[in-house]
Amino acid sequence: MNQSALWDQLILLPNYLGHHLLMTLSALLAGIVVCLPLAILVTRVRSLQWPVLTFASVAQTIPGIALLALMVPLLGQIGFLPAFIALILYSMLPILRNTVTGILGLAPEIIEAALGLGMTSGQRLIQVELPLASPVIIAGIRTATVWVVGTATLSTPVGATSLGNYIFSGLQTQNSAALFVGCVAAASLAIVLDQLIHLAELAIQRRSRVLGWVTGFSLVSIIMIALMPLVPITRSARESMPVVLGAASFTEQYILAEAFSQRLSQAGLTASSRPSMGSAIIFEALINGHIDCYVAYTGTVWTNFMKREDIPSRKVILEQMTDWLKRNYQVQVLGALGFENTYALAMLKKKAEASRITSIEDLSLYASQLSIGSDYEFFARPEWKMLQKSYRLDFNEQRTFDPTLMYLAVQTGLVDVISAYSTDGRIIDYDLVVLVDPRQVLPPYDAVLLLSSQASKRSELVSALQVFNGAIDNQAMREANKLVDVDGESPKKAARILLKSIRL
Amino acid sequence: MMIQINQVSKSFDCGLTYAVRQVDLEVEDGEFLVLVGESGCGKTTLLKMINRLVEFTEGCILVEDRDISTVDAVDLRRGIGYVFQGIGLFPHMTVAENVAVVPRLLNWDNSVIQSRVDELLQLVGLSPEVHRGRKPDELSGGQRQRVGLARALAGGPKIMLMDEPFGALDPMTRGGLQAEFKRLQQTLKLTVVLVTHDMTEALLLADRIAVMKQGNLIATGSPRQMMVHPSHPYVTALMETPKRQADRVEFILRPEGKIL
Repeated sequence: MNQSALWDQLILLPNYLGHHLLMTLSALLAGIVVCLPLAILVTRVRSLQWPVLTFASVAQTIPGIALLALMVPLLGQIGFLPAFIALILYSMLPILRNTVTGILGLAPEIIEAALGLGMTSGQRLIQVELPLASPVIIAGIRTATVWVVGTATLSTPVGATSLGNYIFSGLQTQNSAALFVGCVAAASLAIVLDQLIHLAELAIQRRSRVLGWVTGFSLVSIIMIALMPLVPITRSARESMPVVLGAASFTEQYILAEAFSQRLSQAGLTASSRPSMGSAIIFEALINGHIDCYVAYTGTVWTNFMKREDIPSRKVILEQMTDWLKRNYQVQVLGALGFENTYALAMLKKKAEASRITSIEDLSLYASQLSIGSDYEFFARPEWKMLQKSYRLDFNEQRTFDPTLMYLAVQTGLVDVISAYSTDGRIIDYDLVVLVDPRQVLPPYDAVLLLSSQASKRSELVSALQVFNGAIDNQAMREANKLVDVDGESPKKAARILLKSIRL
Repeated sequence: MMIQINQVSKSFDCGLTYAVRQVDLEVEDGEFLVLVGESGCGKTTLLKMINRLVEFTEGCILVEDRDISTVDAVDLRRGIGYVFQGIGLFPHMTVAENVAVVPRLLNWDNSVIQSRVDELLQLVGLSPEVHRGRKPDELSGGQRQRVGLARALAGGPKIMLMDEPFGALDPMTRGGLQAEFKRLQQTLKLTVVLVTHDMTEALLLADRIAVMKQGNLIATGSPRQMMVHPSHPYVTALMETPKRQADRVEFILRPEGKIL
């Protein structure tokens, strides 16, 4: 990890931190606003205690990333909103539980005294119950804060910018500087917010003016950072809205999003990116206009979204797909970029030669003794089912990895076969061999640039991106991928080199 | 008549069993009534029905000639002092803040509250200068109950309901506080209903004693009547202990060799 790699990451910090803070603080605030009254109601109407606390516990037991993912179809949206709602649900349990136990756990003689002196329910709450339960309630809020800050890093795949962008992109592109900055920033943020609440508590308890000022100052600065992401949006008019670029969760997609972003800024447009989205979510986001454009692959659209099982020629596929997208979703296919990135089964050259395996046909004989590794998606896609059916593949074991780790797994012998990407620089670097598909079960995967219906109406945007049509061949893309995956450069730098090599 | 209890019953299980059964009892203006009986006899339940901490199921209770079921429970309680064994001082408030709770609820003027707090602390034998700013956990048990007493008196109630108020105190403190309170009651002309299972305490404090057994009121009368003409075998049994104590004390104090 050198200094410039670290600096590359640190300049992203204000943006990621701002979004992360905005999301966690608003979710926490909403969580408190919802949960405090709800918890107080529960202490007054005891029959509500079981259903309310059970609901909160159930929300808590759903893994963070699953809860976030679940919000996308439920709300029909990506980005801030699903992350915000999921985080509110996540913050509920500690606030509810601590408030309820804090109030119900007060000594019975104190409540009897409050009643006997003639306090109303509200006076008892304000003058006696809340002040006495406040240490327990605040402890609950602190727990919720730490949880929410941590869970918010998982909101990157649903399209919300957060410190998770560091972690997801760092994992995909093997960028340890990004991982390092992301982890340190998320952990520090959790500690700072937790301590800030503690400080506020002390300031009130000790009625200390100095502590009060320190707390107030820190709070104001944190809120300023959180509000930063809102500033450009409120200021700019609809026309100069930044172009939102989507990217799925692998290296090539990061590089292309970077390249488009650099190209757009040359053309005087601003761009922001939503990296690390799943392929179904990203398509959904484009249809709904939450992102403006992304690079899709014809085979993916053909088999996964159009649900076609026949494999005509690549020209027919492109034409029919263009037509289908336009007719059903007003999505415009701006053009094919010039390279293709197919799913391809690959294995170590040594191992393949030893068993004389050159095609998927050959593989079917050995499959029952071999294990296969893949990315998050492949085993759930129709292509995999078609391959299995057509070649009667029945592997001894199937394992799912992050794309980067999948290559490491085949290299170290943890699995024998992987579903590689044909443009991946690691195929050569790791000495892998791509197995032939003699029955042509896998469709072609030409990279195409898709524009949402609003984006296709912005002529300056269309003309800025049109130059990419047919501009990137297999060689150029593989080189760029290799710069990141093998040589450890940042996607930004790889994009700059890619643009230079295609003279843009 | 300050308090009138007419045919009052209380059941916690929809009429299966009764904690208090058809009790008739009247307490006169300025009277000190002590309710005695063993634990579980219903005396505390009867007491708490007077300020509606417990709602009765049958009968009616009049306080100052008003039917308390038609009065707002919160207003009712603000006009009645309530002291109990647990005291229940608010630990986050100072002594002065604890005493000022009811005056604040009644929206008294701030300066009036301040002087009232000092007056009450003096009344219960605490020094305002020393104790005003202390927190409850800095006080002894006896001092805490003095503050509890001051808090109950702060709104100027005519009636005090007391549930074993001296029960948790050591004998020395208890004796002192009992005597002080009796004096206070007479000066302020308070109407008091005090619950205790300590017969000696009842005899020392009461103008009139009411005896309860298994939810029923079985006898009422002055301490002298109770002692001399017990109307019920249970009352005779209750008087056994104080009587034996008195006899023993008399025996010990008698000049040696003198035969009665």
